[in-house]
Amino acid sequence: MHPAIIHFGLAVALLALGALLAVGTRLPALPLYLLFGVLTANWLDIEQLQPLPDLGLLLLLFSIGLEFGPERLVALSGRAGLWDALALPTGWLLGLALGLDWRAALLLGGVVYISSSAVIARLIIDLNRAAYPESEVVLGVLVCEDMVIAAVLALTAGQTGAAALLASLVLVAGYLLTAHLLGPRLHHRLERLPSEPLLLLGAAFTVGTAELFHAVGASEGIGAFLAGTIVASIGMRERMDTLFGPVRDLAAALFFLAVGARATATLRGIGVDAIGLALGALLLKLPLNYCSGAAGGLGVRGRLLTMLYLIPRGEFTLVLGAIALQDGSTLVSQTAVLMVLLSVPLGALAIQVGPQLTRTIQGRRSAPAAPFRPQHSEQESAPVVRHE
Amino acid sequence: MRVEEVDLPGVGRKFTIQTQSGDEIVIVVHHSGRRQMLYYEGGADDEPVVALDLTDEEARELGAILSGVLFYPELTGAATTRVAEQAIEWVAIAPGGLVGQRLGDLALPQEAHILAISRGGALLPNPAPETRLEAGDTLVLAGTRQAVDALKSRLVS
Repeated sequence: MHPAIIHFGLAVALLALGALLAVGTRLPALPLYLLFGVLTANWLDIEQLQPLPDLGLLLLLFSIGLEFGPERLVALSGRAGLWDALALPTGWLLGLALGLDWRAALLLGGVVYISSSAVIARLIIDLNRAAYPESEVVLGVLVCEDMVIAAVLALTAGQTGAAALLASLVLVAGYLLTAHLLGPRLHHRLERLPSEPLLLLGAAFTVGTAELFHAVGASEGIGAFLAGTIVASIGMRERMDTLFGPVRDLAAALFFLAVGARATATLRGIGVDAIGLALGALLLKLPLNYCSGAAGGLGVRGRLLTMLYLIPRGEFTLVLGAIALQDGSTLVSQTAVLMVLLSVPLGALAIQVGPQLTRTIQGRRSAPAAPFRPQHSEQESAPVVRHE
Repeated sequence: MRVEEVDLPGVGRKFTIQTQSGDEIVIVVHHSGRRQMLYYEGGADDEPVVALDLTDEEARELGAILSGVLFYPELTGAATTRVAEQAIEWVAIAPGGLVGQRLGDLALPQEAHILAISRGGALLPNPAPETRLEAGDTLVLAGTRQAVDALKSRLVS
């Protein structure tokens, strides 16, 4: 048996333990995956698991492209995203002030700005907050963020020169144009395919696009994201989402485990500056997101919750961090990894206790969900069981 | 009544219903099939008075009961539920005419079905072809709009 299989078995056993613990304690699972990764970093060889964690990231970005693509912007209020987007130039200027070159500063801006759609959407579902008004605003803000950060990733392509940047932009334009022109015809063809070829085609398209972007010197992450938006734009969102769901969840869990395991190495010798930047970035977004909540038309309580919900950082932060590491800017990459490590458990906690806490702050008496007691009529009849 | 519909990326779809009494019902249909339902009295800024969490199966059953597939209140008379081009309709048969006929002899239009007969306060689901129509029966019909309309016009004439 290949030694990688043993490592895979260990890793999924760990993840299963984390998931079980999450169910038992009613906590979200993602922070536990990260924590288990950190705790087992010394004896779990993550490199043996490759390429599954990296594939997990690509699939995660693919499904974010699928769900948080540009056409969602039309339906959701973009105004909330404007306040939030101020974090990007602020981070960029901060980077320049710290003496970083423009590329590294832009990456830092992105790291300060981007929250994690994958983590936040998961937390909103896991903690039963989807039907509440603030979730709609938060998800709208995340759509804006993902669009902006895709543009930032396209711009940071090509450390080799302007040619690479141009190639990456031409690729994006080419993909969008093709989808626009051939969309209806493709949809017609794909819709009739059974599940299996569709799943395999989707996987090939995602990884292929990622590789293509990597080949021209751009981030493979933007390729996977773009693949998702293209698939969504030709009307295959729901089928692809159902098809990819289980595969993505497994690979993404491995990805978060690997993030935790690698963090110790990345954070070795971390300076005060990176710690300060990480904490400062997390704090900076709080007032901005309070304003986002206000722009989204929420009351004080909704604004506070919006602020708390948008704390978690994840996939795109790590993509930016990885590019920074390639560029040799350890400050930015350490800041990115530290922010993910801190913000996922913090954000999970905030979303869990936030609704209770904000109610107390607001001093509003909670309307208890009074159990409904039906009034029995005089002639009581046994209920008929129609079918079970 | 006002119904709003909005996408929740990564989660599903959210429906907001303003009831006549000014209350608000929020329903989220998750990609996973799960349904969440919140009931707000007055404005939506307060905590909901009721929060429901339903599985796909429970939600469908609840939906069927609410829309009156299993039982319909007398007052509404001929109730109609339209699901896009499909329709479910309750039709009281005209006295005389078809009374005494077997269902199997009715020559149903191809895309119309008789789901149930409501007779004397009881519901007979999925009636057999040899069931005979009685005076005062109400039939629950389902099918395409056109076929149901065609069948209805024969039953009431």
